[in-house]
Amino acid sequence: MSLAADRWPAFVEREATARKPVGPVGGTLVVWRVELLKLAGKILVRGMIVLSLIGPFMVVEFLNLQSATPGDTPFGQWVHTSGFAIPMTILGFGAQWILPAITGVVAGDIYSADDHFGTWKTILTRSRGRGELFAGKFLAAATFAVFMVLLLTATDLFAGLAAGREPVVGLGGQLVPAGHATWLVVASYLSDLPPILGFTALAVLLSVASRNSVVGIGGTVVIAVLFQIVTLASMPEWGQQVLLSTPFMAWHGFWTSPAFYGPFGWGLVTCTAWIAVCGLAGWLIFRRRTIGAAS
Amino acid sequence: MRRAARGRLAIIAPLAAGALALLATGCSSSSNLTPGRLQASLGATFANLYVLQQSEMGNPPVTAVGLDSQASCQKGGTLDVVQSGSGVWLCEITYLVAGPGYPVIAKYNVNVQTDGCYAADGDGPASVNGSPTITGPGYKQVVNPVYLIDGCFDTT
Amino acid sequence: MPGLADAVEVRGVTKWFGDTTALDRVDLTVAPGDVHGLLGPNGAGKTTLLSAMFGLVLPDEGTLRLFGRTRAQAGSAWLEGVGGFVETPRFYPYLSGRKNLAVLARLDGGDATALIDEALERAGLAGQAARQKVRGYSLGMRQRLGLAAAMLRRPRLLILDEPANGMDPAGIRDLRAALRRAAKEGVTVILSSHDMAQVEEVCDSATILNRGRVLSAGRLDALRAAAPDPVWRMRTSDDAMALGVAAPMEKVKAAGHDDGGMTVHAAQDEMDRYVLSLAAAGVAVRGLDLDRTPLETLFFQLTAGESAEEGAQEQVAKP
Repeated sequence: MSLAADRWPAFVEREATARKPVGPVGGTLVVWRVELLKLAGKILVRGMIVLSLIGPFMVVEFLNLQSATPGDTPFGQWVHTSGFAIPMTILGFGAQWILPAITGVVAGDIYSADDHFGTWKTILTRSRGRGELFAGKFLAAATFAVFMVLLLTATDLFAGLAAGREPVVGLGGQLVPAGHATWLVVASYLSDLPPILGFTALAVLLSVASRNSVVGIGGTVVIAVLFQIVTLASMPEWGQQVLLSTPFMAWHGFWTSPAFYGPFGWGLVTCTAWIAVCGLAGWLIFRRRTIGAAS
Repeated sequence: MRRAARGRLAIIAPLAAGALALLATGCSSSSNLTPGRLQASLGATFANLYVLQQSEMGNPPVTAVGLDSQASCQKGGTLDVVQSGSGVWLCEITYLVAGPGYPVIAKYNVNVQTDGCYAADGDGPASVNGSPTITGPGYKQVVNPVYLIDGCFDTT
Repeated sequence: MPGLADAVEVRGVTKWFGDTTALDRVDLTVAPGDVHGLLGPNGAGKTTLLSAMFGLVLPDEGTLRLFGRTRAQAGSAWLEGVGGFVETPRFYPYLSGRKNLAVLARLDGGDATALIDEALERAGLAGQAARQKVRGYSLGMRQRLGLAAAMLRRPRLLILDEPANGMDPAGIRDLRAALRRAAKEGVTVILSSHDMAQVEEVCDSATILNRGRVLSAGRLDALRAAAPDPVWRMRTSDDAMALGVAAPMEKVKAAGHDDGGMTVHAAQDEMDRYVLSLAAAGVAVRGLDLDRTPLETLFFQLTAGESAEEGAQEQVAKP
């Protein structure tokens, strides 16, 4: 195990194939790819993907074994009547808990993991600047969140279709035929993309600020729960609109007759604001932070 | 001020300001969960569901327009309570089946949530919304559409 | 020589952490191709200064240039041609040595990925060691992986924080040879150490740091010329007689040592004269070792002197 001193320095003589410089956008994409590759290897990520593939079918089986129906959620009473009610019941019941947790596991860890391993000083001393690393990791976390929503949309929808394609009763009492119902189910799930990205930004802020994955992940889940509690309080409309949990329910308006899109539009504003504020705050904390122990 | 302290202040200050603002307005209950919006939504939703119920029971078809259903809602059942916001509302839906001279009144206990969605529990008459299931042609038992009404209205 | 920028130029760099001053108006210059030692006791600020060179710590005052450019001027090209590590190199423990280098090579871009095999081989980590997960690495293996990671950057400037830490004597010997070879090819090296003996073996110039301040800096020859006498440990057949022989010699200061034998402060040629005088006086020298080189003595004098000065100032400050 020698250091081959006779062959140092390394590679200085081989300048010919020097790299061409990439701008900040290119650099960000480089980091984005590296982070996605690292994520793909994580057991927790793979586990969540597997769970998302089989979970909905397990829910369908569970519902089939019951004669009663979930009464507390919209569409709950129709799960034995129409397969389309199943993805909608899952969405209505679980979105505001499950989706923040899913993004929290990745986004709440992707920065603080490097604090935990002490590897910031390793990756910050390569050819990528602080901005590129911050943005690249953010993009990777956001990509995972989008991917999971798309995956859940597909598996929940297919689980429902497998259970039956009868028309489903909408939130305006109207009967929605199978074709339109499919489109509404997909639109409802996709309408949760902005709020899950909002929680991604929040988890990133927690991860960067605390340098601790427990705070990054746990904090995101706790805050999601807090939003649920606060939303029960009686407050003016703008108060409800500020909460990041409210846009998860914007799809209600898709299913009424006639449909209304006000909450969805305002939800976009809310989520954009949360993403901007949390992202900016995280960056301001990170950009001039001292890496390593002060000595 | 040291840079670290400034950074922390930059995060905490707006959050604290926002929280205080929310708390300050929390006492007021001006909201868009008004009787008008609830009544409009409940009336129209009931009409569609009643049409569905009649068709599933194999009865002669009715139209939502012909039903001309009108809802009248009061929060808490007494006149002292502020008539807006989430909570339990008592609603009566008046609709016409056999002609203008013969209105039927269906009663509902409506639980309205802060997001503008509600669950209305049927409270009479028993023949309309008293039972969770109805019997269709061939003695097939199906969900009674007007027993539990899930609906939502726009709060923006 | 016009146009030839210093490899590293530090001017008036100051850094505070809360109430502690980690670096106090530090000046440092390293010419290209030099091997420069950054010396100081633990807590002197060596790691902070090296971190500042890497952009891991951002100074509160002063300027810092690598190859003539500040961090603001260079942007993301700040560390082009710069490699090394601060404190023990850290990697992702759940990945193998090779995979860790693959991650870093991807971040670097270009053809860095093609250099991985050779870098591992030159660092002495080829084969099984490269496939092992880093969580199972010894400290010495981590240091080697850090050197391999630095090599991937085709460094023209190597910045190494206590690189011999955790290495066995053979590894240290190899490292010294490798650094000397690198310097011969024009690579600039900055290495930090708390051990002057190591620095003397391989460096051309040095900066001595204590409590964030530069105490002394310059080429080793110049420092040596200005340094106090080296310290020797000696055993003789008659220590009392030996002390007597030394008494009239101005430039030889001999004293008995608690552990037996004697301590002698004298320059090399004065020492030679002393040994010959002892022989003439019938005293045989049974053992003679260099205990501290002139530079080591200078180093301890400076840092001990600093501490004494601090202590005195504290005494004065207290009411």
